[in-house]
This record gives sequence, structure tokens and C-alpha cells, in this order.
Amino acid sequence: MPVTFIGVRHHSPACARLVADTIDTLRPAYVLIEGPADFNPRLDELRLGHDLPVAIFSSYRDDDRRHASWAPLCDYSPEWTALTQAARVGAESRFIDLPAWHPAFAGRTNRYADAELRYADVMTRLCRSFGVDNVDALWDHLFEIAPTDDLPIRLNTYFDLVRGDADPGETDQARESYMASWVAAAEAAAGDRPVVVVTGGFHRPALVAAHNVSAIGDVVWPAVPAMPDGAIGGSFLVPYSFRRLDAFDGYQSGMPSPGYYQELWESGVDGAARHLVEAVATRLRERKQPVSTADLIAAHATADGLAAVRGHLRPGRTDVLDGLASALVNEALDVPLPWSSRGMLGAGSHPVVVEMVAALSGTRVGRLHPATPAPPLVHDLDAELARADLDGSADLDLDLTRQPDRRRSRVLHRVRLLGVPGFRRDSGPATGLEPVLRERWTLRPTAERLTAVIEAGAYGATLLDAAAAVLADRATQAGRDVDALATVLFDAAQAGITDISARTLSDIEASVGSAPDLGPLGRMLAVVLTMWRHGHLFDTTHSTTLGTVIAAAVRRVLWLAEGIRGGDAPADPGRIAALAACRDALHHAEHQLALDRPAALEVAARLAADDDVPPDLRGAAFGFRWALAPSDNGLPGDAGDRGRSEGTLDPVRAVRGAFVPRSAGDWLAGLFALAREEVLHHAEVVGLLDELMSGLSAEDFLVALPALRQAFEYFPPRERETIAGRVLARRGLGGTGRQLLRGGLDPAVVAAGMLLDDLVDAALRREGLIA
Amino acid sequence: MIVDVTEPADSVQRPPAEVRFADELARLRAADTAARPPGWHLSVQAARRFVVGDPALGVSQKFVGDPSLIDRALITLATSRGLMLVGEPGTAKSLLSELLAAAVSGDSTLTIQGGAATTEDQIRYSWNYALLVAEGPSTRSLVPAPLLRGMGEGRTVRFEEITRCPLEVQDCLLSPLSDRVLTIPELTGAEAMVFARDGFNIIATANTRDRGVNDMSSALKRRFNFETVFPIADLRTELALVTDEAAKLLRRSGVTAEPRRDVLEVLVTTFRELRTGETARGDSMDRLSAVMSTAEAVSVAHAVGLRGWFLRGEAGTAEDVVACLAGTAAKDSPEDLAKLRRYLAQQVTWRDGDQWQALHRARHLLPG
Repeated sequence: MPVTFIGVRHHSPACARLVADTIDTLRPAYVLIEGPADFNPRLDELRLGHDLPVAIFSSYRDDDRRHASWAPLCDYSPEWTALTQAARVGAESRFIDLPAWHPAFAGRTNRYADAELRYADVMTRLCRSFGVDNVDALWDHLFEIAPTDDLPIRLNTYFDLVRGDADPGETDQARESYMASWVAAAEAAAGDRPVVVVTGGFHRPALVAAHNVSAIGDVVWPAVPAMPDGAIGGSFLVPYSFRRLDAFDGYQSGMPSPGYYQELWESGVDGAARHLVEAVATRLRERKQPVSTADLIAAHATADGLAAVRGHLRPGRTDVLDGLASALVNEALDVPLPWSSRGMLGAGSHPVVVEMVAALSGTRVGRLHPATPAPPLVHDLDAELARADLDGSADLDLDLTRQPDRRRSRVLHRVRLLGVPGFRRDSGPATGLEPVLRERWTLRPTAERLTAVIEAGAYGATLLDAAAAVLADRATQAGRDVDALATVLFDAAQAGITDISARTLSDIEASVGSAPDLGPLGRMLAVVLTMWRHGHLFDTTHSTTLGTVIAAAVRRVLWLAEGIRGGDAPADPGRIAALAACRDALHHAEHQLALDRPAALEVAARLAADDDVPPDLRGAAFGFRWALAPSDNGLPGDAGDRGRSEGTLDPVRAVRGAFVPRSAGDWLAGLFALAREEVLHHAEVVGLLDELMSGLSAEDFLVALPALRQAFEYFPPRERETIAGRVLARRGLGGTGRQLLRGGLDPAVVAAGMLLDDLVDAALRREGLIA
Repeated sequence: MIVDVTEPADSVQRPPAEVRFADELARLRAADTAARPPGWHLSVQAARRFVVGDPALGVSQKFVGDPSLIDRALITLATSRGLMLVGEPGTAKSLLSELLAAAVSGDSTLTIQGGAATTEDQIRYSWNYALLVAEGPSTRSLVPAPLLRGMGEGRTVRFEEITRCPLEVQDCLLSPLSDRVLTIPELTGAEAMVFARDGFNIIATANTRDRGVNDMSSALKRRFNFETVFPIADLRTELALVTDEAAKLLRRSGVTAEPRRDVLEVLVTTFRELRTGETARGDSMDRLSAVMSTAEAVSVAHAVGLRGWFLRGEAGTAEDVVACLAGTAAKDSPEDLAKLRRYLAQQVTWRDGDQWQALHRARHLLPG
């Protein structure tokens, strides 16, 4: 009997309607649907009466691969209407695609992404010949807002065209031949009753071709591939949301704007357009953005006009959006309209555009029927809590240096990351730097715990995976905020999450690579470097993730440092500390992380020599070079080898050159922060400083004093004492540095004395008694 | 020299769009069956095809960018609001305005060039003072400027660089745009009011670098729909455009060596990154204050080819790119020069490709 193949675009209302109508008309024996075949025994779970969107979440883990993916379903998904309509007409439904753990899905997180996007050339050509911006506009134009009379023919032509040029990859072929075996079995089993096959349009031509060459044989239902030995995984229903559905990008993306298409599904093209305009206007007015009636009239007129030009009977998604943008945006945009370029909302989008995208996306959140088997996370979390004896009410005081307590702390942190209520940390280490080794927690089980865990179930099947996924989300959202990123990394350390996906790692690298300020970046680098060097407490020593972050941060610090200009400015401890962190990274991790020391030294040399760079940074750059310059025998400039050649690096000359009263203190602050040790052990520099400072006039000294004080703060008291001792020795005076520092005199008295000296000097000079 | 308008178009350096593309306009008009907005020479659909191209009718693509921008621009012109094209310099705003005017009115010459010295006379009308003194104010002594002609004849008026005009001069567009009428108080009776005919509208252009020089009043802003024209979005398209245009210019300059694609790729990528302030890897940088437009990239590519050919008899290398960049990118700004130096020192080494490494090695060729 005939097999009807319907090639659909996932999450397309037009296709959903076509699928429902076809099943209604044909009343088939079998409805075969692109979906994970291992879920077939549990199809009834889908029909319990959930609030959509929900998703079939699949997880998998073996020794060398970890994978999580989602097959999201909403009211207007063709797969969903196929399931519900099949049940209504009494047809058997089956999922016929490979399970999500199969290697054919490696790297894919959204089962219902648009397969054809991976074959970009064809799509680009099609868009150009229809004169539209992108695939989504093309799809709306051809299917969603077009008349429905010959929809199947158009759909098939479209997908034949798309498929015709493309050379399907190995993974697509594997899936298609598996799906074809289901079709053959269903056809044989159906006898003379029809079969309807609902798959992504990209796969349809291959299935039709396979069907044409196969003969009807015996009923052999294909086996569901078994997971490899030792692997763990499974598929479960989890609640989903429009926000997450709209957040897939790149090759994972499918139809955008779920909020709009939900409306299109419920109330048609006009209703969706009206709703969109209303939603945008309401959102903008709530935010006190002016939206006048005249603007709305103009938006309407433009949308209608655009629809007419583009050959639409009614204004579609982009017509309405373009109309609104024309009418409401009356200034230049910094980034292109997101619906013209098909991508995520870029930074710097116009506020009106941001609201428009939010209105498109919708806020709907799905909920599972209470009878649905709980996602695996619920069981895993309960088991983990029970194992660590954390499932009751408790007030805990954990000693992080002890292994059992540390294990419990990790479990608690993972639970905290999932936002499960009833777990509160009252105190504990907040960054990787302070020596806090104890943690206090208050545990109070609440009724809301289960709901929260079910929701979090969409993130992963085990507590560890879910917490890692939440952190990955946060790392992606951190954007340019390196402080937020530092928190994510520290949270990861506390929760004992060490392996982070390549994707997240590149997100983190990108955040660091676009960090705007040296101060926060330096702070983060210092924390991360410490965690990387001595992370015994959290097992982060030499972790790859932190290594990547360090390498990226070093590059970025050097880049940002070279961008700071503007001449004289007071010292900024933040940027000095950033260079110091960078020096430490090069010092401790140069070889393990393949950091580029010569390039860093070049940057420092340019900074140190540029008059337009603020003095503290110049001093710091000089100190950076001094501290990192290759030296063959100990510290450069030890008292013993003062004649040693140091190339261009001559501290005495540099200090002398930089000693301008107005900026000397700032310059020295930079130098001392970066090359404290070196200065301390270079007798000549200390002597020179003494000489230069003695040579200052009283007035210049007062000008320089505040910054000088700040500079010498970089020496701890003991080292200040050493310096004081050297100064005394140099002047041939007795006593120790300690005595000198503990002058014991009131500074006000000293100042009054100095003033008196000055007055006497001035009087003597006036009378010509001294020259 | 005064150009005789009856002269053949090919001796004119750059004829207007309606002359350059007269064939295409004629073909589109002949094949145009859709309804035309009142006063238009073409239907909206045909006007759109004129700009975005239509291979079936042999109409070339004249503007690289999102087709939806053209849709919105044309629809705006058919409504009662003016069209304001804004964007960075060198994004082909003026070309687009010329093409739109040619498509809508068949004439792109009613143009006002905005500037600090633009007065209302140059926008609305002025007088033939000899006649004015001899005969008094009359339509004979009236010298219409583009706005008055556009309104009276029902045509599209182009206003280039509107934000370079003083605010009070810009505001003389208010009543023509909202009430669609221009009053000439010196005249009396029916002649004192010129009502806009169907087909009249204004295309203004403004560049975002001039924002703040002379801002627009919000009253005037409200009467315009703003369309932002962006630089070319993807590398491939821009590279192809630069390669084509540079090759044309080089041939005209007598250079027979074709420009090297790997060198141009380095050049165009450099331009794009300095323009957007973001590297291919995603690092953010400071944008240059100089204009890094596609047009500038073409001129640098031309200069690179010339240097290579006339100095060494070859196609031009990464060293030539550095030498030529100094003049374009840095111009007279030491800050830009410093940014460029920093870029060449720190953002080039991590990339694959000989030309990138050559670019890095040549960083010392920057002056200063």
C-alpha cells in the first residue's frame, strides 16, 4: 500500500497542519516519525497531557565521549501533531530515527535542528534568487504565510532542490538507511492500509529513493541499536521553555521565534501579526519608551506595503518586524537587525530591537504532567544526597582539608548550582585567594525541592552533568564580564567540575578575549593562576581549563596594557596588579602553557619607552622586563656583577631618566610592584634613589611625597627596613634601618622643623649670606 | 568647462544612474505590470529589481546588502515619511540614494549637497535679482532649487549629508515633509503655495561619524524613517568586490600583474577587523577613528598593486600593505597609528598563512 512521505521543517506550523490533515484524511495504519527509536516503548508518556514545550532529553557517557541532546516538542511541531493525530485516528506511531547516543548525533545538541543549514551554499543561492535576507525569511515567504493549496508540492520541490545539490555526510546516510528500514517494515506490516512518514524534509528525498528500489518483504521491525558495553545513558521527558528553544544557534538552530509561531499556530497569520505588534508596543511602553499611535499607524502601513512588495497576502513575521523597525527606530543602528542576519541578538542592539526579539521569542515554559516518570536527575540527586548523608535537615560545619568533608561540600555545591531550594551556604571561601578552609551550610528540605529538580532535569541526567551544564550556560552568558567568569571558574572548582566542553572553553576564551578593563582581568588572572598553581584543595592544579584561561588572559592583559595612553595620570593599582599577575603567569607557567615570553617582553619594552603611556604603567613595564629578562647568573645587577652587560635593560639609567618629581612616585609604584626583589637586591638602584630624593627641593619633595609613599607601600616592613639599612650604610651613618623607620617623631613636628629650615634658608639667601 | 548635456554620455566622467542604466530601466518599465504608486516611474517591485538585480531581465545587482533594506526603503518612499539613510562613511549610502531616485522618479539629479555653507536658498528657491528688481517677485524671477522643483514636478529629492547643515537650515524641510506644501510669501494668490505632487519625497543621507556635529531636531527625525546601511557583512563578498574593483583599477593604471588573492585576503580581513573592532578569534579591540570602508580597502589594494608593480615588477606583498595602510588607516592621527602598530604587533602572529607572518614582520615599516 502507498507510503506517504511528508518532508517537514521541524517546528513549522504550516508543516504541522499539513501532517495533521494528511493523517486525518488517510487514516493510516502506521505513522512513522523522526525521533529516537529507543523511546518507542514509552510513547505513552508523551500523551499524558503535558503543558508544552517539553523535550525528550537524552544523555550518554562512555569512557571517551559524553553527550547530551534534546528533541524539543511544542504545540506546533509536526512531530507532535503526528503523534497526537495518530492517536486520534487509531494509528500506531513509531519513532524511527537512531537513538540520540548514536555516533551519528555526535556534537549535536538539538535533534530538531535544520539539517539543510549544514549545506550552506545551496541555501545562499536560493535566498539570493528569491531576493530575501536569509533562510527564515525564505521559509516564511514560501510556506508559513503562503496559501496552503499546493503546500505538499511546494515543500517537496523545495527540499528536492535543497537536497539535490548537497552531498549528504556519512552521519546523515546512516540515519537515513536506518529510517528506511523502518519504512519497509511498516509498509509490510500495514498490508493494504496506508503508512505516513514524517521526517525532516532534507531526508525525504533519500527515503523516497530507498523506498522506490525496495520490494515489499516480510515484517522485520528494525532492532534498536544497543548501547556499547560500559556506557550509561537514556532518554527522558523534561520540561522545556521557549527561551531555550530559541537559544540554539549555528548548526544547532531550527525555526526561531517560538512565541510568534505559537501565535501563528493558534490564531493564524493576521492574529500573529496583531499579537506581535501589541506585544512589542506593550513591552516598550512598560519600559517608558515612547510609542505613539502615529508610529503604530506608520508601522502598520509599512508592514502592509512590505507584504505587498514581497508578494505576501498578509504581513508575515519579517514584514511586521521591518514595519515596526522603520517606524520606531529613529536613529542609526549599531548592529544590523537580528532577523536580517539570522543569529543571536548582538551586543549593542537598539533597545527597541531587543524588545522586539523578546516578544518574538515568547516566555512560555513547559510543565510535565505529574504522572510523568521523574527525570533521572531526580533519582541521581536523591542518591547522591543519601550517599553523602545530606538528605535531612542539618547545620554543617565542613573542614575542607579533610577528604570526606570535601566530598560532601562538592555535592552541596553542585546542588546549589542547580538552584535547588533548601541548601544554603552561610560561610566559606569566596575566592581562591583567601585562606578560608571551613564551610558552614544550612540544610532545610522543602516541598519545592522536587519541582526545582525536575526543572533542572533538562540540564543533565546526573548531578555532576547537570551542574556542569548550568555552569556552561553561565560561562556563555558572562559575556565580557570577567568577574562573573571568575565566579564561574571558582564555582566549578568548588563543585569539583573539571572537564568542561570544548564549546564552553571557547566561550570562556572569547569572554577573556573581549574583556574591556585591565583591573578585573588582572584580578581574575591572579585568582586563576593561584588555583592553577596550588589548587590542592579543589584539585585544580594544572587543570586544562584554567590553563586555557590563563593563556587567554595573559594575551589580553598585554593587549589591553598597550592600549592605555594619555600621559600623566595617577597610578592605578588595578592595572599594575594586572601586569604583576601576567608576570607571575609567565614566571610559573611559561613552558606548560606555551606562553610567548619574547612577545610579552616586546610589549613591555614598547610600553616602557613610550612617553604617552602613564608613568605607573611605564614603570611597571620596565619592572616586568627586569623581572622576566633572561639572566644567566642569578638576579641581574647583583652587587657583585654590576658591570655586567644587560643590553638595553639598565635600571640605573631607567630610574634616573624617569625621576621627574611630578611622576616619580607613580613610576616607582609600577617598578616596585613588578620588580620588588630586583630593586631590593640592586644596591646601586637603592643608592641612586637616595641620591635623587636628597636632590629634590623641598617643594618638589612635597609634590612627589604622596605617590612615593604609595610606591614604597609595595615593600613589606621588613624590606623597607633593609632599604633603610642600605641608605644608612651608604651615608656612612650608624644605627639600623629599624631605628630609622621607627623615628618616633610626630610627622607634624618634622614638617614644622622642615618649614623652619626653609624659612631660615630663604632669609639667609635674601640677605646674601649664602649663595 | 560647461558640459553640453546633449553630448554622448560616454564622454562624461560619471553620468547619473538613470543614464548609466538607461537600458535596464527601460526594460524594467516595459515588463512592469504591477501597479505603480502615484507619480512613480516604476512599480515598487520593479524598482526593487532595479537595485537588487534580476538576471532574467538582464538587470545587474547594484547594491550588496540585505534585500529587506531595499524593501523597507522603497515602501518608506511610497508613504508620507522621508527616507533617511544613515551609516558609516563609505557604505554606499549615496549610491543607494541615487539608485532609488533613478528607479522611483527616473531622475537622480535633484540633489542638495549638505554642508556648513548650505543655505535655505540652495534648498528651496532663490531669485534672479536683476529680474526681481526690474519686475518684482513673480514666477519669472523665481529660481527654483531642488526642493521646490521636486514638489512641483512630483519627483524624488536627494539631500546628501544632511547633518552637515546647520540645524535651522535642516528644519526648512519640516513643512514640506509634513504638510506637503511650500509657501513662497513673496508671491501672492495661488502661486504663493506650492503643493507637492504625487511622487515627491525626500531621500536624505547622513553619516554616523558626523553625529553630534549637527544633530537633527526630533521634529525632523519624526518625519523620517531611518534605515541604517551597514558595511558588507561577510568576508567572502567583500573580498570578491575588492578583488574585482582593484583589478579594474590596476588594469586602467597599466599594471598587468593580477593582485594576489592571499595578500588581498589579509588586507580585507585587516580592514574588517579594524572597522568592527573585533578579530576573527573574537577578541575585541578599539576601532580606528579613520574610515575603514570597502572603498578605502579598494584604494589601498590599488596602491599595493601599484607599489609592487612599479617598484619591483610584481603583484604587491604584505610589506606593501603595511606601507599603504599607514596612509589610509592612520592618516594624520597618532592614536590610529598607535592602534595599528599594536594590531600588527599583537593580533597578527597567531594566524596561519605566510602573508600574515609577513605582515607581522613588516610592522616596522609603519612611520614614527
